[in-house]
Order: sequence, then C-alpha cells, then structure tokens
Amino acid sequence: MNLYQPYLMKIEAITDETPDTRTLKLAFEDPSVASEFDFRAGQFGEYSVFGSGECTFCIASSPTRKGGIECTFKAVGKATKAMRGLDVGDTMGFRGPYGNHFPLERMEKRSVVFIAGGIGLAPVRCVIWNVLDLRDRFADVTIVYGARSVSDLVYKRELEAWAERADVKLWQTVDPGGETPEWKHEIGFVPAIVEKAAPSAAGATAVVCGPPVMIKYTLPVLEKLGFAAGDVYTTLENRMKCGCGKCGRCNVGPVYVCKDGPVFSAAQLAELPAEY
Amino acid sequence: MTGARTITHDNLAALVADLAAAGTRVTAPARGADGKVDYRPIASLAEAALGAELPRRSLKEFFLPASEPLFSWRQEGAKVDLRAVPTEFPPHLVLGARPCDAAAVEILDHVMGWDYRDELWFGRRAATTIATLACPGVDGSCFCTATGRGPESTKGSDLMLYPIDGGYLVEVVTPKGDALVTAHAARFISASDASRPVSPDPGPRTPDPASLPMPAIAEWLARNFEHELWRDIALRCHGCGACASVCPTCHCFDIVDEPEGVTEGTRRRNWDTCQTGLFTLHASGHNPRRDQHARIRQRVTHKFSIYPAKFGEVLCTGCGRCARACPGGMDLPEILGRIAALAGAASGPEAAV
Repeated sequence: MNLYQPYLMKIEAITDETPDTRTLKLAFEDPSVASEFDFRAGQFGEYSVFGSGECTFCIASSPTRKGGIECTFKAVGKATKAMRGLDVGDTMGFRGPYGNHFPLERMEKRSVVFIAGGIGLAPVRCVIWNVLDLRDRFADVTIVYGARSVSDLVYKRELEAWAERADVKLWQTVDPGGETPEWKHEIGFVPAIVEKAAPSAAGATAVVCGPPVMIKYTLPVLEKLGFAAGDVYTTLENRMKCGCGKCGRCNVGPVYVCKDGPVFSAAQLAELPAEY
Repeated sequence: MTGARTITHDNLAALVADLAAAGTRVTAPARGADGKVDYRPIASLAEAALGAELPRRSLKEFFLPASEPLFSWRQEGAKVDLRAVPTEFPPHLVLGARPCDAAAVEILDHVMGWDYRDELWFGRRAATTIATLACPGVDGSCFCTATGRGPESTKGSDLMLYPIDGGYLVEVVTPKGDALVTAHAARFISASDASRPVSPDPGPRTPDPASLPMPAIAEWLARNFEHELWRDIALRCHGCGACASVCPTCHCFDIVDEPEGVTEGTRRRNWDTCQTGLFTLHASGHNPRRDQHARIRQRVTHKFSIYPAKFGEVLCTGCGRCARACPGGMDLPEILGRIAALAGAASGPEAAV
C-alpha cells in the first residue's frame, strides 16, 4: 500500500443542503483507522469515487465530533457528479487529512468572527462547531453568512440552531433579489452586512471563506473595522491532485497550498502572487 | 569504502552477463532500431552505446514512470476491494548514466520525501544502482556547469566510470556502489596507483558558471513576478509540454481513474506539465494561470527560485534537453542569460538581452 491508496469509507447519511449541494456523512470501514483517525479544523482530504477519480475539499465536520467525517460538495466536475450518484451504504475513498489548520490555540480567549458565503460555509462550519464545542475557551462569537438566494443557504438546520443560541450572534443575508416573502433576515451582499454587523476587532480573529469576489470586498471592510491582516484567516482552494506536496499542481509563488496551506492569513495572502 | 578499481571491457561485459543471469535488470544508453539513443534494457554489453550522444529521455521514467498504477479496485454491489501495487522492486543497474541525469534523481529525492514519503519513488531508488559514465561530450544546448554540475559530477551516482585504455576506472561513491563492486570483486582490478584520466573537455559552448549566477537569478525571479520578459518569451511557446516531458527534474503528475469495465479498474498517476492550461483549471471554470506567459514563468520560477528556496538546490541539471526538444525554439540557457543580464549580474558577452 502506498500513500495514494485511500481509506475506504461507507456513506452513513446524505443531506441535501440546496438543489445542487449535498453533505455526506462518512464512516471508516476499518475500525482501527476509525479509532485512530484525527484531524484539525481546516485540514482537507482527497475524496474519490472509484472509476471517476478524486476531488479535494476541506473536512466540513468538526474534529470535536468523533466517529467519521462529513463533506459538503457541489456536483460540478466528474468526481463530484459521481459522488452525487452514490447512496447510503455505498463505498468511497478518502485520503487525508492533509495541510495545515486554523490556529485554534492562538484564537483561544479571543472573540471569533466567522464570515462565509455560499458553500464557503463548509470549511468555516468545521471551525464554528470546533469553537462552539469548546465554547468557554472563546469570547464573543459572531457569524455572518450569506448566499445568493434563500434556497442557496447551506446547513439550514444548523443556522436555526446557531440563531437560537444566546452565545452566538448570527447575521444571515441573501443577495438582493434572492429573498422570499418569508425571509426575515438581511438582504445585501456579505461585505455590506459585515460592515453593518461591525464586530469589534479588539482581541478578535476573523475566519473568512467564500467566493473570491466576496473575499476581495470583505477584507477591506475588516481592515476598516480595525482587524490586523495577521488576524484574518481564509482557506485557499487551488486545484490539487496528490494533496501532499508532490504533484506540483497547487504551487503558488513560494508556497504549496496543500502543504503550506490551505489556511493562510490575509497578511500571508498579500505576499503571494495572485495565482489562486 | 573500497578505493579505486579498474574494470576491463571484457570484465564489464561479463559483469553485465552475471547480473542479467542473476535477475538484475540492466539499463544502459542503447541505440534503437530508429538509430536514436535512449536508456533501454540490455541483455548484454554489446547492446549498449556507452558514451554515445545524450539519450533523448532522462532517467526520470525509471523512478517515476510516465504512467504507473497506484492501486486497483473491484466493486461488488456496495462493497469495494482495493488491491495494492508492490512498493518493493527487483534489483536494477543503470550503466553509463549521464552525470546530469544521475544528479536529477537525487535532486528529486527532496520533494518525493518532503514529509510524506513516496514509497513508489523510494522503492525504485532503493532497488537501483546508478553507475555513471563521466560525460564524454557536450553540445551547444548543455549548461550543466551553470547549475553546479559538471562532466564529472558524482551527485546521484553510486559508481563513477572514467574511460581509460581497455576499460574504465571505477570510483565508488556510495555504500550501494561499494556493495555491487564487492559482490563482483573478481571482475574488478584494484587500482590504488591508477591515476584518474584527464578530464574530458567540457567544450567551448558550456557556459562559464559566472555568466549564469544562480543566486542572482533566484533573487531576480522572486522579485519579478510581473515583468515584460515573460510575455516576450511566451510568444515562442506552444504550450505543448515537450520540455517537461524530456526534463530529468520536471515531476508534476496527474492522478486519474481508468475503469476496466464497470466494476473494476486502476487508479494511475501520469506525467503532467504546468505548461498546459488544464493544469490549474478549477472545476468552477476559474483558472489562476490563464495565459502561456504565466505558465512559462511558473516553470522557470519553480526550477530556479521556488525549489532552491524550499530544498536548497536548483531543479535543473543543465542537460539542455528542453532546448533541444522545443518546437518553438525556447532555450532555457538563453532565458537564464537574459534574466542574469536583467539582474545586472552577467559577466559574459552572450548574456546580453
């Protein structure tokens, strides 16, 4: 067996988040792997359907929740389309965890501001549950989440759970025109809602993930609010194959996203050529 | 380790026969039916063309094959069985490697062992002994001397062979080389008093290392992501990737599934190249390197700035194959010369922009 041979995983549950986005709950077939497997929030894996190849995403569940992992994906390419065709009980492959992680230890005793757009909530959700499962180690928790339309919001049950918690400030928004008559939350683009929410930058760390255009316009808002570039983190999604620093695909300037990332601070991103 | 020895042509032929009979694969530069020299399996020394022109392809494929299985699968209903591929390999001798090709293999050990060990690479490395022939000649595309190598560079070699009258002087470089010499001691003659032959003439066109100063080039590359040089040289590039294919150090690969019928198949890795647009294309349609100039910049920057910054060595041994293979006339030493001139560090007249 070599490092490119994946673990076998059984699909335990399927949740349709939106018409094109789905979450799979996966359990390791080998009990010894299941008991030993561990990861950190922000790490990713190579998921595969045998016959259709591999695809790369962050682990969407929190490392505080044992007994398997979850991944959330949109059916876009060959492998993700094949993944969408699988049923509960089917077998798929997983290699990982790979890459670095969010600096949870550095974030302890600090406030945390989560900002996500669309399916970008998947990697952020992993950190959110990690923080909420260790809630007393952190100060204020603010979540700003937006999608194009109400039907594009992922993890709807969890949004409800976070909305009900007194120790979480949740801002939900949809792009103008994406609202329904029943929509009671914000209407506007994520950067504008971050500005409106105006989370305090004092002793705070921000975790931002979403489409490039959202990140591009959110970073200046955070800067205006007083966040230092070293306290704002995101995760890059370069195309990858090996996931472990061999195949050369995710190399951007001096970094390999799979080994040196995928988590980078805004200060680190500012130093990189814009090839991500 | 034992000292220098010599081996006669007859004894070398006998050694190759001994090894082949004992089940050791022997690979050497050999002329094919098309008259071209490549590293090929040989059954006897008579098939080898030691010291002929540079083989068209490097030694890379003997450690990272152009296409190789990673494992195979078989599906029965919802159940999948995986069958591993071996990570141990039969003994292999490369006889008459070029110093540039041997060095490339050792330079690639860095990335193949970077935190995660590529067992397929290192399995082949462990099984293979490389006996390098001091480079018998160069042509105008060679620039090994600029990359820190040279006609007698021992990097990556287990044994070094220097032509002498009637055979070769054999220098033991590594314990693996020593093991081969010791196991076949009767074929070698101790040559403690044998003086090393005169170095082969590196040729008039091998650049003076001072004309392509690698540290200054690395420094310029790290500072000049945006520069008109990239768009200028990109006009000649077709994006075919021939350079990467023949390169002894280009190691980018793809991982793909090849189904055989509906219920079984093999996951393979295949050589790939950063010179094609598909290399970085995201599923969303976004492509961080949309233009050819960005891809050439990546190839040059990765070899001469990124890799040395990460692993301490340039990812190039100056074999010149990229320049020979390019249908558009791209010439890496020429590009490096232009960069050296831009960096203000050139010392030769050929380095003018």
